[in-house]
Amino acid sequence: MVNFLSTYISNMKKHWIPLYKHIISCIMLIFTLLVCSCGSKVARVPIPIKVQSEIDINTYSNFAVLPFVSDKNNSKIDDIPVEIGSEIAQILRSTLSRQKHFTIVDKQETDRLMTGEEIDGDNWLTDTERLSELGRYFEVKGLIIGSYRFTTDTRPRRYYGERYSYRQQRYVMDYQDYMQKTYLILLRVMILDVDSGEIIWDEGYLQRTDEAHSLGSLVFSQMAPKETTMRELSKRALAKFTQDISPHYEKEDRFLIR
Amino acid sequence: MRNTHSIIHICIVFMLLTLIGCTSHNVARVQDYNQFAIKTAQAGLWNEAIFRWKQILSIDPENALAYNNLGVGYEALGKIEEAQAAYQRATELDPDSKYYRINYRRCRLHIRRSGDESKETESESSDIHIEDTTQD
Repeated sequence: MVNFLSTYISNMKKHWIPLYKHIISCIMLIFTLLVCSCGSKVARVPIPIKVQSEIDINTYSNFAVLPFVSDKNNSKIDDIPVEIGSEIAQILRSTLSRQKHFTIVDKQETDRLMTGEEIDGDNWLTDTERLSELGRYFEVKGLIIGSYRFTTDTRPRRYYGERYSYRQQRYVMDYQDYMQKTYLILLRVMILDVDSGEIIWDEGYLQRTDEAHSLGSLVFSQMAPKETTMRELSKRALAKFTQDISPHYEKEDRFLIR
Repeated sequence: MRNTHSIIHICIVFMLLTLIGCTSHNVARVQDYNQFAIKTAQAGLWNEAIFRWKQILSIDPENALAYNNLGVGYEALGKIEEAQAAYQRATELDPDSKYYRINYRRCRLHIRRSGDESKETESESSDIHIEDTTQD
């Protein structure tokens, strides 16, 4: 009997333990598959969602855009031409004209009606009575006015990378110093209700872009005209403003269940 | 007598197997339709996807999954009222699914943001109940 038992146990050890290992690995495989299948139970799909305008577009459907003025704190840069304010206004006019909800007074008409008007940065944006009067000349519901502040900031930076060293026959860590020049524009856009003389929209839009320079190219960039950069940054900022005040579609996720 | 018993037993087993077979066939069909519908939805073919989910509902009218997915389809096509009704039905059928509640809540938020309160057709009490349970 004892012999039989010992033979049985040795047989068990010989045959069943490897089988036991197989069973465990099978269970682990099934568990892994289960976990994987649970992970993909849901499919995330983006759907278009209509976002309404943040202003009442039924009331404010026709606008006049007046030239933007330089911010009075804009003392860092002196070589920006005054015409840039008119250019920013023209960019906004053309952006808003593409929206079917708005009617915009064109540039020629604006220039004609603004002849003889003095635009100064100090109290231009705060004199709502004068602006309302101008709005009535234009026969519009809303008057878009604003200011710009353009600044640049230059800082030394270090870029870490790898280069191949022939002497050591391998890649080695290396760095390179450069100057990073950052252009910043802050556009303050306001909408004035012509009838009541109240400001119904007052938001700042900040845009920035960076350039990498060596010392030599930095000197040249300081002398180069900055209008192109300003125009590009203004376009981006005004696109954001236009999106805010006009109905548009945005993507939002929903869950589909498998 | 024994023969009669055995014949009855065989019949019962056969009927059970037929029933199980039919049910599993339907389940497989529902899964196939749903997989196909999700693929078409991901490709932007929402009308085709909605047609498939409606087919699932004709097979199984109490399928919460199909109602939820149908709601997504309707919302993607801008049919907000239908979407809201479908989401609501899905959450009623399966109140424990967080994904149904998330979709339903987002749909209602979308309606509120768009300022069209009149589209929120159902009673506020059920809304409040679901709002409370969807803080996940």
